[in-house]
Amino acid sequence: MSGLALLGFGPDGWGRLLLSGCLLTLQVSLCSMAIGTVLGGLLAWARIRGPRPVRALTAAYGIVLRGVPELLVIFLLYFGLPSLIASLWSAMGWPPPGLLPAFVTGGLAIGLVSAAYQAEVFRGGVAAIPVGQFEAARALGLTDLLCLRRILIPQMLRITLPALGNVWQFNLKDSALVSVIGLAELMRVSLVGAGSTRQPFLFLSAAIVLYLVLTSISDLAFRTLDRRFSQDAKEAS
Amino acid sequence: MADGSGFYAPTLAQLFGAVPVTLLILLVSMTLATLLAAVLTACSASASPGLRAFRAGWTFLFRGTPLILQIFMIYYGLAMLPWIRWGPAWPAFRDPIFCTCLALTCCCSAYIGEVFRGALAAVPAGEIEAGKACGMSRLQLLRRVIAPALIRIALPSYSNEVIMLAKSTSLASTITVLDITGVAQGIISKTYRTLDVFLCAAALYLLINAILSAGLRAWADRLSIDRPTPKAVEPL
Amino acid sequence: MTSPIVLTANNIRKTFNGREVLKGVSLEARAGDVIAILGGSGSGKSTFLRCLNLLEVPDDGEVMVGDFRAPLARNRKGRMVIADPRAAARMRGETAMVFQGFNLWPHMTVLENVMEAPLRVQRRDGAEVREKALALLERVGMAAFAGAYPKRLSGGQQQRVAIARALATNPKVILFDEPTSALDPERVRDVLALMRSIAREGCTMIVVTHEMAFARDVSTLVVHLADGVVESSGSPAHMFGLDASPAFRGFLAPAP
Repeated sequence: MSGLALLGFGPDGWGRLLLSGCLLTLQVSLCSMAIGTVLGGLLAWARIRGPRPVRALTAAYGIVLRGVPELLVIFLLYFGLPSLIASLWSAMGWPPPGLLPAFVTGGLAIGLVSAAYQAEVFRGGVAAIPVGQFEAARALGLTDLLCLRRILIPQMLRITLPALGNVWQFNLKDSALVSVIGLAELMRVSLVGAGSTRQPFLFLSAAIVLYLVLTSISDLAFRTLDRRFSQDAKEAS
Repeated sequence: MADGSGFYAPTLAQLFGAVPVTLLILLVSMTLATLLAAVLTACSASASPGLRAFRAGWTFLFRGTPLILQIFMIYYGLAMLPWIRWGPAWPAFRDPIFCTCLALTCCCSAYIGEVFRGALAAVPAGEIEAGKACGMSRLQLLRRVIAPALIRIALPSYSNEVIMLAKSTSLASTITVLDITGVAQGIISKTYRTLDVFLCAAALYLLINAILSAGLRAWADRLSIDRPTPKAVEPL
Repeated sequence: MTSPIVLTANNIRKTFNGREVLKGVSLEARAGDVIAILGGSGSGKSTFLRCLNLLEVPDDGEVMVGDFRAPLARNRKGRMVIADPRAAARMRGETAMVFQGFNLWPHMTVLENVMEAPLRVQRRDGAEVREKALALLERVGMAAFAGAYPKRLSGGQQQRVAIARALATNPKVILFDEPTSALDPERVRDVLALMRSIAREGCTMIVVTHEMAFARDVSTLVVHLADGVVESSGSPAHMFGLDASPAFRGFLAPAP
């Protein structure tokens, strides 16, 4: 069968499967990004405002999760988390749950790593806001919560957007690593197709093209958003 | 859990045995990627639109796709091409370590190239002008003014890329290389002590990264010592 | 009948990095007072001012603004900390501060800057706050810039907006931390003139400044801080006259 037919949407074509792989890639990337943003925000907050032991813990989290290869984090969570849960469960007298679905562990693993990087992005964003603005807010009686809502977050979104765009691209590419624990995202589908049809060059090229499409669209989206945000600031001046 | 140190010591020893493989991949890829990145940066500053397009395309390709896909493409995909399979370079392309190093080199060169490009733009224009004004040739300018400033500016981001490269060497295990991760998987398949072995492997990577970071930081400190920090001006 | 006391500071002490910057400074401000705090660099005057609204936490002493006592307490390590952040915010709501660096919020327009505290802290009605804010901007001469962002304004203009922002919450006392030190000479004049007219309206002000003419002409009390203590204080006539303390006279006219 010709290459194009193999990749196409005919009865023997892998096109539909490749696209559903793309979809799964996007889904797991979005989930891990969301986990990373929420956890990263909490970590940054704890690092800035927490008591000394909490600050040390969050710093350690960052060092460990940015220093260990993502592949190992995925493996550790995929194999380690169930055994941890199993020992907890058996302590309660419940039967062990077995392996968790690859989407969950994969998304969680990438999310935990992403959180470490996003915490650094958020820390940098806060540092970029002159401390005088917070002093002025506090001097007028604004509570911490108000400072957060009205002074910090509006400016943070604009300042950290480029860096968050970078983090998103890394999430997107790291999602390919989840293929090693069997998740049927784009990388895995193309490998399966390659193995089944003995055409690795064809399928891996297709995967390359599809990833390039995904990263290009993301790049465009973030650049448009960035321009829109700084447009607001430019209109002001 | 009853083994205690009886398990960890031989495991760590076995994992340590794989460190040279990891280090080999790391050092070869880091060196070649840096050299290639310098070439790419030169392309970006070149007058030739072809070279600039080449750099843009290279960066687009290698930053836009996952490294694991690049590794698989070089190891499995290229083997399909007749001029690779039956060509003179086949013994190299058949070797998973070579393929890993090639993929890592190409991929990281794109990232490091971007770091250098940004640093080049950040070299203070005044310093370059001063060099030109006192008659430096282009080569002198490059060696005495631009390169030192570029290295100093690029070092923090470059250090980050080196750490990322060190982590990425673990992907070699996916194409049968017996690096730290590969050996770890082997031990696990025999002993089923998944959590413990992977934790040991993680600790080893952290150690390597700590040493790398310390070395790079020391280098960065040395570079800024060369620059005199201006003393605070005493009020009159 | 004497005017009510709006602010009291008792025996404020503060140490930074092992150096004792404030060694027991006390102050009492009545409604309508304009207190000028003068002193050389390192005398602790900015630190003292910032202790009054708890931007710095004094290591010892107490502060009272109106009916609010500063919620300070010693933590387990013996350090003085803010025991109740909510109460601290409420106390700060009774004061306002004008900074050397203006500190306007860049992502809000001039009008929004002035409206922010009355709207969100004092929870007053939106239309009323807007009207009052526009009137204040008119008062400081910046009404035309209500919709502009701080980026577009010069230093003097920003400081005037900052003063409007400080007035907007009807504070019991306004703290000025070297409000003209970052401005060039013509702007200094404008801002001082504005501060002068505010003082004439009866606003209670505590001003850390280097502007001697302002201190001499506008203030009701001059305090000379040196080496972390109140070296001398008194009416401007006394302090700028011949029977002022030698240390203060030395400060005013340093030997060449």
